[in-house]
Amino acid sequence: MFRSRVVTLGVAALVLTACGGGGGEQPQKKTELTLYNDKGAWTKYFDEMGALSKQSIGLGMKPTGYTDSAQYQAFIKASFRTDVKPDLFTWQTGGMLEEIVRQKQVAETTDIWQQAIQAGDLSKDLQPYYTIGGKQYCVPMNVAYWGMFYNKKIFDKYGLEAPETWDDLIKVADTLKKNNVKAFYHTSVLFSFVWFEQLLAGSDPDLYDRLSTGQAKYTDPGVVQVMEKWKSLIDAGYFINPGDKTDPGDVLKNGKAAMVSFGTWFNTSMTQRDLKAGEDYDFFVIPNVNPALPKTSMIFESGPLCSLTKGADPAANKKYLQWWTTAEAQEKWATSRGDVSANPKVSIADKALGTVTKDAGSGKYRLVNRYFEATPPPVLTAALDGFGKFVTEPGSYKEVLDTIQKAADEYWSTHQ
Amino acid sequence: MIRRAVLVVLGLVWLGPTYLLLVNASRPAGSYDPTRAWAPSADFSLFENFARALESADLTQSLASTALYAIVSPLLGVIIGALAGYTIVVLRLRHGFFWFILIFGGTVFPSQMLLVPLFVGYSDAGLYDSRLGMILVYTAINVPLAAFVLRNFYSGVAFSIFEAARMDGASTWRVFWRIYLPISLSALTAVFILEFTFIWNDLIFGLTLTQTADVRPVMTAIAGLMTDVYAGTPVPVGLAAGLVVSLPTVVLFLATQRLFARGLSLGSV
Amino acid sequence: MLGRFRHGYVAPAVLLVAGLLYAPFLWTAYLSFTRYDGLEPAQWIGGHNFAKLLEDPALLTSIRNTLIWVAGTMVLPVGLGLLVAVLSYDIRGGAWFRVPFLLPYALSGAGLAMVWSPILSHDGIANRLLGVDTAFLQEEPVNTVAMLLVWTWQQLGVNMLLFVVGLQSIPKAPIEAARLDGAGSWALFRFVIWPLMRPLTAVVVGLALVASLKTFDIVWVLTQGGPGRNSETLAVTMYKETFVASDYGYGSAVAVMLTVVTGLASYLYLKRQVAR
Repeated sequence: MFRSRVVTLGVAALVLTACGGGGGEQPQKKTELTLYNDKGAWTKYFDEMGALSKQSIGLGMKPTGYTDSAQYQAFIKASFRTDVKPDLFTWQTGGMLEEIVRQKQVAETTDIWQQAIQAGDLSKDLQPYYTIGGKQYCVPMNVAYWGMFYNKKIFDKYGLEAPETWDDLIKVADTLKKNNVKAFYHTSVLFSFVWFEQLLAGSDPDLYDRLSTGQAKYTDPGVVQVMEKWKSLIDAGYFINPGDKTDPGDVLKNGKAAMVSFGTWFNTSMTQRDLKAGEDYDFFVIPNVNPALPKTSMIFESGPLCSLTKGADPAANKKYLQWWTTAEAQEKWATSRGDVSANPKVSIADKALGTVTKDAGSGKYRLVNRYFEATPPPVLTAALDGFGKFVTEPGSYKEVLDTIQKAADEYWSTHQ
Repeated sequence: MIRRAVLVVLGLVWLGPTYLLLVNASRPAGSYDPTRAWAPSADFSLFENFARALESADLTQSLASTALYAIVSPLLGVIIGALAGYTIVVLRLRHGFFWFILIFGGTVFPSQMLLVPLFVGYSDAGLYDSRLGMILVYTAINVPLAAFVLRNFYSGVAFSIFEAARMDGASTWRVFWRIYLPISLSALTAVFILEFTFIWNDLIFGLTLTQTADVRPVMTAIAGLMTDVYAGTPVPVGLAAGLVVSLPTVVLFLATQRLFARGLSLGSV
Repeated sequence: MLGRFRHGYVAPAVLLVAGLLYAPFLWTAYLSFTRYDGLEPAQWIGGHNFAKLLEDPALLTSIRNTLIWVAGTMVLPVGLGLLVAVLSYDIRGGAWFRVPFLLPYALSGAGLAMVWSPILSHDGIANRLLGVDTAFLQEEPVNTVAMLLVWTWQQLGVNMLLFVVGLQSIPKAPIEAARLDGAGSWALFRFVIWPLMRPLTAVVVGLALVASLKTFDIVWVLTQGGPGRNSETLAVTMYKETFVASDYGYGSAVAVMLTVVTGLASYLYLKRQVAR
């Protein structure tokens, strides 16, 4: 292979004292694992987990954090071809996971899942997202359920309550509008997909699933209707300007918008700003647009923690992943960040989030995989750009859908 | 007088955003309101915010290696680059322009595209996660810049200096080391500042080519604080983090200002 | 014998650059002729990626924005840098007048975005000061110009510093002579100082040319090239295609094009300015 050998030569020419390194592929006994992740900001929390695991299972862990997830993913993929191999690494569910499983890079975790489900440490509802070809891979590093965070003070001021139906939600937005308060937050950078996925999942979750697997088109009438619905909401003046660069945490805190839709991890933004749940802000599940649907669709996101088939010490990796799913580990992991956990046994301090997690775990909602994970990268890239354009110029929705579909056509023509 | 007035006015414009940075980094983390970002806060919480930013990063461990890269690589880069510039211009290397373009050509590649092949090459060569590897790559990035600046700087220096020194029997190396390097101190310093800042703030090479905490650049966790929505960092803490990161560079600026104070007058010797 | 080691003296520079910058890029050049997603073996597809470049409408926007960056960089960070350097280099305490311009250079990209967001935001400080109602980072090409101003704020200091070095290296004698001949300050600058500082001017312009063609960081932290790709530069397009969309082949083709353009532009410029 031509590829990187040139580089190697170049580098080697410079370094006469090549440090040998690499060595045989003998499985070694490890007492400390490395955990590569794209959550550089969570280094402190990972470190705490490493200390805890050392104490309870005699196996330490050191995080290696990245700050840009695109670069991180390129790095991990490249590492498969080298001797530098992470013991554990974070990844994405959906097509990204499928891709590396197909390459036989990821260690199977079917027995960890079976045991954990039996012990009540993992919910069966999560399993499909970690299942490829009937087998499980990786374990949940984190989970998040998406819903609406709202400014409780504003709601109280205008006598509003968390809506139960879509019509209620629109009534709330109308009341806010009459009082010159913007109801909703949206943005043109990165999280531009939030309202699209919410409206589509709440109108026709089957269409959403078909769209993400290439069986439906972005130009199909159902998708066009969703864009028209979204446009009508923007035209009604419910949204803040997408050019507002304020951090969404501050948008909600200062009442620039009364409601901000994010995953449960957004709770960290609230607690970091000294806001109190139930007093300053609260959380509700966004009702379906289509009331005829049997279950409320809830956007769900989960980041896997994986290990490699060719890891240095597969037994240690497995032991670690198993420990990660236990209540002891998850209690620490969730509470230190003020987040929810994949383990139903973990008690969540925040009442609203605790209820959501419990309900989600008991099958009350139809969980819908987040757009970010559900959509293949080239289509996602086109879609994020497209929705970013749309929120700035809502009239452009037809053109936007055409552009996304073009990327989708190109992708699906070479995949499956 | 007009000159001073223009400088003061422009300087004040430039200080505007710097003021915003300071005011908001000093604000209590819970009381940031973007619509009133310019108003100073009654409570001064800069150090509290510093502490919160630092809490997330284990600075003690890797500060030393970042400092090592940020000082050693520019030093090497500046000397290697200056030597190349000196050889091309003063020693009148044959096909000098070709060699110059070859070296300067190192700057035209988009650095993001070098990451993956460098990583693969480094792991094959056993340089991954080593201080030596980091110093090498940073030095390589710095060399073209230094060669360019010094090549042009030396082209403005009177050739008679060189001839006189050779007449006294000094070797070409000695002329370089004893005469040309010292007279170009301000140019060398300017390049050093540029390169130091680049390495100090660099994330992409540092993250891709290293793994263990004592080899990694120090700023990963702090940078993550500023960019990651999952971190939920309040703006004042993020800004304080930005300030912490910048402090060494600012100190370097202030410490070297004297060098740029007055004319040196070289060519007339 | 004028130094036996002449080639030995350039060897370290050439080896470092060739081994760690040129060689890795060869891989990118190779990938530009393949279909590759970072995982499955790369598939040779000939010039297909380059043919696609010609038909990509987004690329035209990237080229236009990149040209704005190049032209704007010459006027603002470079031009203003020259102004500040000339105004401050020989007055008492000139170094201190320059400090405000240097400070922003210490700030990292992420810090830059945080400082400027409340200024450029819709209903932000800039809107209030100017009495307008614009989302500075949304509409094209306003967003590119707005980012150029932020860039000027950050980069002016470095250019200024290099110009100061250039000014310092000017011999005093010709200036004194011109002064005695009664030259005004403009004439002095235009006919004596400017020609004499040409070597360093060529450095500043040459570096700015290369850097502006490769503009990436500031756009990435402020708009990620959006909304709807309208503020993308060539480097942002390259990055998005390669790493975000995992289309290494096409991203590499953009990279090759960008590299050829940058290489050619700097070669032509340097040939005129530097070659003897």
